[in-house]
Amino acid sequence: MHDPHPVRLVVEDDYRRTRLTVFFRLLLAIPHFIWFFLWTVWIAATGFVNWVISIFTGRPRPWFHRLMCGYVRYQAHLSAYLSLVTDPYPGFMGEAGSYPVDIELPEEPVSQKRWTIFFRGLLFIPALLVASTLGGLNGGNLGSTRGRTRNSTGGGTLLLVCALLGWFATLARGRMPKGLRDAGAYALGYTAQTTAYLLLVTDRYPNADPTEMLVAVTDRPPRHPVRVVGDPYDLRRSRITVFFRLLLALPHLIWVTLWAIVAILAAIVQWFVTLVRGTPARALHRFISAYIRYRLHVNAFLFLVANPFPGFTGAPGVYPLDLELDGPQRQNRWKTGFRFVLAIPALIVDAALGGALLAAALLTWFYALVKGSAPWGLRNLSAYALRYDAQTNAYLFLVTDAYPHASPLEGEDTTEA
Amino acid sequence: MTRSRVWLLLPAAAVWAVAAWLLWRSSLPAYHLPHLDEHALFPAGALQRAQHFSDVERLFWLGKTITQLAVLAVFTRYGVRWMRESAAGPIGTGMLLGMIGFAFVWAAELPFGILVVWWRHRYGLSGSYLDATVTNWFALGAQFVLLCIALGIVMGLARTRGIGERWWLLAAPVFVGLRTLLAFIAPWLLGGRAFHAPYVEPLQRIQHVHVPVRVLSGFSEPNAAATGLGASRRVFFWDPIVRPPFTPRMDRFVLAHELGHLAHNHIWKSLGWYALFAFPLALLLALATRGRGGMGVPEAVPLAIFVYVVLQLVALPLQNVVTRHLEAEADWSALRATHDPGAGRQLFRLFASETLEDPSPPWWDYVFLENHPTLLQRIEMTRYYRASVRETGHP
Repeated sequence: MHDPHPVRLVVEDDYRRTRLTVFFRLLLAIPHFIWFFLWTVWIAATGFVNWVISIFTGRPRPWFHRLMCGYVRYQAHLSAYLSLVTDPYPGFMGEAGSYPVDIELPEEPVSQKRWTIFFRGLLFIPALLVASTLGGLNGGNLGSTRGRTRNSTGGGTLLLVCALLGWFATLARGRMPKGLRDAGAYALGYTAQTTAYLLLVTDRYPNADPTEMLVAVTDRPPRHPVRVVGDPYDLRRSRITVFFRLLLALPHLIWVTLWAIVAILAAIVQWFVTLVRGTPARALHRFISAYIRYRLHVNAFLFLVANPFPGFTGAPGVYPLDLELDGPQRQNRWKTGFRFVLAIPALIVDAALGGALLAAALLTWFYALVKGSAPWGLRNLSAYALRYDAQTNAYLFLVTDAYPHASPLEGEDTTEA
Repeated sequence: MTRSRVWLLLPAAAVWAVAAWLLWRSSLPAYHLPHLDEHALFPAGALQRAQHFSDVERLFWLGKTITQLAVLAVFTRYGVRWMRESAAGPIGTGMLLGMIGFAFVWAAELPFGILVVWWRHRYGLSGSYLDATVTNWFALGAQFVLLCIALGIVMGLARTRGIGERWWLLAAPVFVGLRTLLAFIAPWLLGGRAFHAPYVEPLQRIQHVHVPVRVLSGFSEPNAAATGLGASRRVFFWDPIVRPPFTPRMDRFVLAHELGHLAHNHIWKSLGWYALFAFPLALLLALATRGRGGMGVPEAVPLAIFVYVVLQLVALPLQNVVTRHLEAEADWSALRATHDPGAGRQLFRLFASETLEDPSPPWWDYVFLENHPTLLQRIEMTRYYRASVRETGHP
C-alpha cells in the first residue's frame, strides 16, 4: 500500500435533509453561484501567477497556498450543498472544519518537482477526464476554456445523477439515500484532489480508488446478494492483449449480445413465474445468473479491469474478477410487478458510472501499454462501476429484489474491492 | 501410412479427380491463342508505366508474404506462452492464441500496406492511408470473429468424444455449408443502387439470366462482380466502371461477362472447388497438428495457423488456375453474347492504363497472383473470336 493522499475527504453527515431547502436548493444557491464565479476568476488570475513563481521556486508561496486551499474547500462545500451530499448552507470563505463535508489539505506548501509544475496543465488532463465523469458539476468548470461554465461530458456525470435522484428521494423521505450520498461524496473527493493538483496545493496525483477515499469516513453498506470478488492487487496487464483489447473482445461482444437476447426472453418468463410463485424458477435463475456473470467477465476484460481472456460460459470461479450470487430467494411481489419502472433510477446511475468506466479504461489502456500494469485507483473505480452494473442487471433480470447499492464501498463481509 | 489407409485414400483420390474433371468442363472452345506482342497493343509509355508500377507492387507482395510466414513461424515457436493470458477453457484459449497470431501478422504487414498506398499515390492511383491503418484495424476485428468461429468449429469437433482426430471429415462439410450460406446472403448485405441501361434486358435475354444489376458506390477501382445463389443472384458494378472513361459499350461487355458467370453456374462451381480443396486441406491440417496434441488443444493453434497459411500459399497456384479458367469462360460468353470483340479489346487496354495492371507479368506473378487471365491473354481471346467468326461465319 502507498501513503494516504494528502487531500482527504471528511464526511460528518447524518443523511437527514430539510425538505424545504432541498426543494429550493438551486435558488438558494444563487448567491453562491455569483460568489463562486468571482472567486474562480480571481483564482484563474492568481493561479497563473502562483504557477509562474512556483516554476522558479519549486514551492508555492504560503499566501497563494492558503488562497488555493480555500478555493478547493469552498468548491467542495458548494458542490456538496448543491448535490445534496450534505444539508447545511455553506459559508462563503471555504474555512477548514466549518462544514460537514470538508476537505483536509496540507497546511503548508510542499516542495514540488519543477518539471511537474511546468507541465501541470498537461499532466492534469487525464485526471480531468475522470473528474468530468465523476464530479461533472465542477469538472466542467475546470475543463472549460476562458472561464465559461460547461459540463465537459455533456451531462450524465455521477455527481449530477446522484443530485437529481437524491432530490426526489429526499423530498419523499427527508433523508438522502446512503448509496447516492456516498457516491456523491466520492465524486466530490476526487474532484477536490484534481483541483488541488491543478492549483499546486499538492503534487500528488489524484487517486480514483473509492475505498481509500471513503473507508475511513463512512460506514460500509450492508452485504448485497450480488457481490464482486477477486484480487484487487491483480494489476499485471499483458501489453499485447491490451493493445488489441477491443478487437480481442469482439467475439465475446457478439456472444454476449446473442446471450442477452435469450436472457431477456428468459427474464420475461421469470417475471411471470416470480409474480405468481413469489420465488424465481431455479433453472432460469441459474441461466440468468450465468449471463450476468459472463457479462461481468467480458466487461472486466474489455475495460481492462482484469487481464486474462475470459471463457464463454460465465462459469463461476474461473475469472480473476468474479461475481458471487445467492440462490433464488423469495421476492416481494410489488417489487416484482413494477420491476422495470423501479429499475430506472439504477439504470441512470449505471449509465453515469459507465462514463467513468469508459474514461478509466481509456486512461488504463495508455498506462498499461507503457507500464504493463493497471493503475490501482482506476482499476478500483472500474471494479466499482462493474459491480454496480452487475447489481443493476441482477435486479432488472429478477435474480434478486435487493436494490443496487450505489455506494462505492463494497458491502460488509466481502473480500474484494 | 498403413496399407488400409492407402486403400481408403485411393478411391477418395479417384472421386476427387472425377469431381475436378466435372467441375473443369466448360463451354470454352479448344483454341490455341496466338502470341501477341504487348508492345504492338499498348503505347510504350503506358506499358512501361504499368510494368514499373507492377514490378514494385510485386516486391511489396513478396515482402509481405515472407514477413507473414516469418512472423507465424516465430509465433509457432513462442506463441504458446500467451496461454497464461487466458482464463477461458481450451477452446477460448485457442481462440485467444489464434487472434494474437493474427494480430502479430497484422502489425508486421502494416508497413507494407502503407508502402502500397504511397506507391499508388506516386502513380496517381487512389489509396487511403486511413484505410491502410484505421479501417484495416477494423478489418482485423472481422478476421478475429471469423477466426473464432472457425476455431470454435474445429476445436469443438476435435474435442467431441467419438470424433477426435477425424474432425476434418465433419469440419470440411460444415465450412462448405457456411460458405454456401454466405454466398447466398452476401448480395442482400451489399445493397447498392439499381442500374438501368438499354442493353441490360437484351443481354439478360441472350444469357438466359434475369437478375438485378446494381451499382456499389465508395470504390476507387473499376470492377464488377456476379454473386449470389438462386433468388439472391445479382450483378454488381463498382461505380468507377460506369463513369468515363469507361463507355456504355464497354459496360455492356462487362455486364455480359458477369452474366456469363451466372449463366455457367460459376458460383456453384466455385463452391464445388472450395469443397474439393477443403477436405484435403483439413486432412493435412489434422496430420500436421497431431504432434502438438491435435486440434483439440490450444497448444496446436499457433502451428495450425502457420500450416494453414502455408497450405493456402501452396494451393494458390491451383486456385488461380481454376479462377482463370472460369474467367476465361465468362470472357468467351461475353464475346458470344455481345459479338463485340472491339469493346472487349478497348476495355482491357483501358484497364492497363486505369489500374496499371501489367499486361504480361512474369511467370511467378502469373502463377501466384493472377486469378484472371492476363490482359494480353484476354485481348488474344477477342482476336481469336474475331478470326473464328470471320472463318466460319459463326463463333
